[in-house]
Amino acid sequence: MEQRTNSPYPRLDKPVLAIVGLVLVVGAVLFTINDREHEWRYYQYQFRRVVAEKLGAEKARTVPSGLQQIWVPSLGHADRCVTCHQAVAWKGFEAAEEPFRTHPAEPLKGHPIEKFGCSSCHGGQGWAVDVGPAHGPVEHWEEPLLGTQLGTEYSLVDNKAALMQMNCNTCHRYDRETKGAEMINLAKQIVNARGCRACHVINSRGGTIGPDLTFVGDKAPEQYEYGRLSGQRTAFAWHVAHLKDPRALVTDTVMPNFNLTTKEAQAVAMLILSWRKSPVPAAMVPGTPRTDPQTAGERAAEEAMKIGPGAWFVKTGCFVCHSIAALGVKSPAQIGPDLSTAVDDVQSRFGRTVDDFLASPTGTMSVVLSRQIILTPAEKTIAVQKLREAFAEYQRQKAAGKTPAVSSH
Amino acid sequence: MAQTTTSPGVPRQTATAPGVHPRPFWSVRPQTDRQSGDAIVSNFLLHWFPAKTYKPSMDWTYSFWLGTTSAALLLLLTLSGGPLLFLYVPSVERAYASIKDIEFAVTFGSWIRSVHRMAAHLMVAAVFLHLIRVFLTGAYKNGVGQGQRREWNWVIGVAMFLLTLLLSFTGYLLPWDQLAYWAVTVGTNIASSIPVIGPTVRELLLGGRAIDQPTLIRFYVLHVIVLPGALGGLFLYHMWRVRKDGGLAKADAVALLGDRIETTPVKTKTYTLLGVARGTAPAVRTSTIEAPDLTVNSVPDLTRRIAIVVLGTIAVLSLLAVYARSPLEEAANALVTPNPAKAPWYFLWLQEIVTDTTIRIGSFTINGAFIGGVVLPGLLVTLLTLWPWIDKSPLAAAGVWLPRTRRAQNAAFLAIVAIVIVFTLIGTFCRGPYWNFYWPWQAWPEIPTRL
Repeated sequence: MEQRTNSPYPRLDKPVLAIVGLVLVVGAVLFTINDREHEWRYYQYQFRRVVAEKLGAEKARTVPSGLQQIWVPSLGHADRCVTCHQAVAWKGFEAAEEPFRTHPAEPLKGHPIEKFGCSSCHGGQGWAVDVGPAHGPVEHWEEPLLGTQLGTEYSLVDNKAALMQMNCNTCHRYDRETKGAEMINLAKQIVNARGCRACHVINSRGGTIGPDLTFVGDKAPEQYEYGRLSGQRTAFAWHVAHLKDPRALVTDTVMPNFNLTTKEAQAVAMLILSWRKSPVPAAMVPGTPRTDPQTAGERAAEEAMKIGPGAWFVKTGCFVCHSIAALGVKSPAQIGPDLSTAVDDVQSRFGRTVDDFLASPTGTMSVVLSRQIILTPAEKTIAVQKLREAFAEYQRQKAAGKTPAVSSH
Repeated sequence: MAQTTTSPGVPRQTATAPGVHPRPFWSVRPQTDRQSGDAIVSNFLLHWFPAKTYKPSMDWTYSFWLGTTSAALLLLLTLSGGPLLFLYVPSVERAYASIKDIEFAVTFGSWIRSVHRMAAHLMVAAVFLHLIRVFLTGAYKNGVGQGQRREWNWVIGVAMFLLTLLLSFTGYLLPWDQLAYWAVTVGTNIASSIPVIGPTVRELLLGGRAIDQPTLIRFYVLHVIVLPGALGGLFLYHMWRVRKDGGLAKADAVALLGDRIETTPVKTKTYTLLGVARGTAPAVRTSTIEAPDLTVNSVPDLTRRIAIVVLGTIAVLSLLAVYARSPLEEAANALVTPNPAKAPWYFLWLQEIVTDTTIRIGSFTINGAFIGGVVLPGLLVTLLTLWPWIDKSPLAAAGVWLPRTRRAQNAAFLAIVAIVIVFTLIGTFCRGPYWNFYWPWQAWPEIPTRL
């Protein structure tokens, strides 16, 4: 049997290949560890221990493990905060330290977690599962957690947790007053009392001397002039400083100095930053009209009909389908025939008198009179009487030469 | 195997006919040259290798195995792209969120994305270095073999380089963050500076006049179907041509030299293209390349080295991806331009040239986008493509690093490469807000935030 031709390579190449294999294994171990290692594992372990201590091992077994999230499809938010903050829905941890504290019940009554998630109120990065990126401030995520820590950094007067109220105003921006949002309420009072609208358009109302502030909260932080601002270079810090002394930041401004206190300036700065184009579902915004309103003309015409000679037909609801032109009643729909000539018309159509027809109607009217407009026998008598009056009026107008515009079907 | 029928009286025979390979798998450890050749012939994946590999072609310092590295990166990109295909949603509303999910919630998601991104960046670099190597060794030149078409393989290589850039660029948009949005804005604005047809080209790229859903779906389909398909096809053809052209150009260089070496005629064995056949195969003139003392068996010597390079690339990438996390900036916002807005790094030398050739005289501006973004790269690519026909150096210059006879063109080529690299470095590390110059150690002005 012939042998394989000798080669000089294996002596060096084989160990090299072995080293490569070793690096591969080391790499696999490293990336696996790296992927598995998260703070939430520790917090979940701790919470299970806390529950076991307080409520017993049986309860501790019901604590879910692994990544948890609240998915709010209407907002497109996946909030994974509950991965660590597992006590949110548990009773009995009201006094515990975060992340194991029960969520206060009051705000959740009107804002169920499954409908609003966490980050729509609290800010922060709901997608993230590590302490740093979730709470911020972190590069490339402009919505840090609006908590006491950030409030302390800004030296908020009184309530250090007030920054969160900015997010209340995402939905409550058209409210005069919002329960629990004192700073925003204060700011709204200031806006009205100091007449900001004299110069600024706010919510499509106001003067044009200053810039429109309706969506000023969306202005990019880079677009402010920070040259004369000392300290933190953020849009919020800019607004606070600017509200306290506009001319100190913008030398040629015509905006007067309102001598706001620090607290007032902070409140108004929060309100200003809350004025954003936030795409929240209309159903979440209180005060949003749920109907397309009538025009002033339409409303006036309807009021006139209610006190005119045809008022009875309007109140009873006949006018929804029928006009009564002789009495000045015009139906918005005009589905049925004009009732001015009903006395005559019913006779020719059905071969019955109006009295008889109303007593035992046929066709559409049998449905209407049995479901939508229920008339007692006494009311039916009035109906016949009113129809006769209408017909009399029609004939009178006809004799007088002005033919009422009666549409026939 | 017709002989293995078990009719009574007929003794069972094993297959012995040449060309029949009874082993279901190829041998990793061939004991004989015959088995070694068989390992090539009977294996679908190894078919594009010769049975014997010329020793100098195996040198680490000749090719630096840059082509193999590029191919390994392409493999890694395909492998890591697979799971991403299942996880990424190419929609303006969901793309960014789906990347956030990959980063935070998917098992190994962040690592897979990093592998994909780092492999993409390194592939651009590896393919570029491969191109430099081929140029400096004149490996696009035909040698002594018949039917060689190395110049066409060079052209295909240039096309593959451009496809690699396009693949990387189309992938850039997909995360739909600020980086993506504005890099593509810069890129497509350069395209629109082409005279007459520019705006149409931009509209064709974007599927409209602004970067929006039509752009995203175009870039997505290009990135996951059209461009990988084209690159894969060209890759196969590229490899097949290398084989048809007689392997690396270095083989030709030594073959020319080898004419002067006395070689003993081989009597008992005949090497064919595909393997070692014994007996009465038609006599083929034994060339120097196939002389046993100048070659090694491809299995296992070549395959082992390929394993080292491919697995080594994967190992390095897998480690790199643990520590170099992929960035994801704020969600794309057409109203906020990041300052500076930079193109992907491999286009930064062009962006640098664009800025440098933009001349402002008073209020009058001559936009450099056409010169820096269209004319210059167009000219360079054309020159690069046509160079094998322009290069008139002697045959002996092929397959040799920096030969005297190609000194001038190598110097010119290296000068251009150096300019590209320097400009890329300046664009990447020394350009800050408003494209102002900052040394890498100088801090940029602090970027303000909302809160």
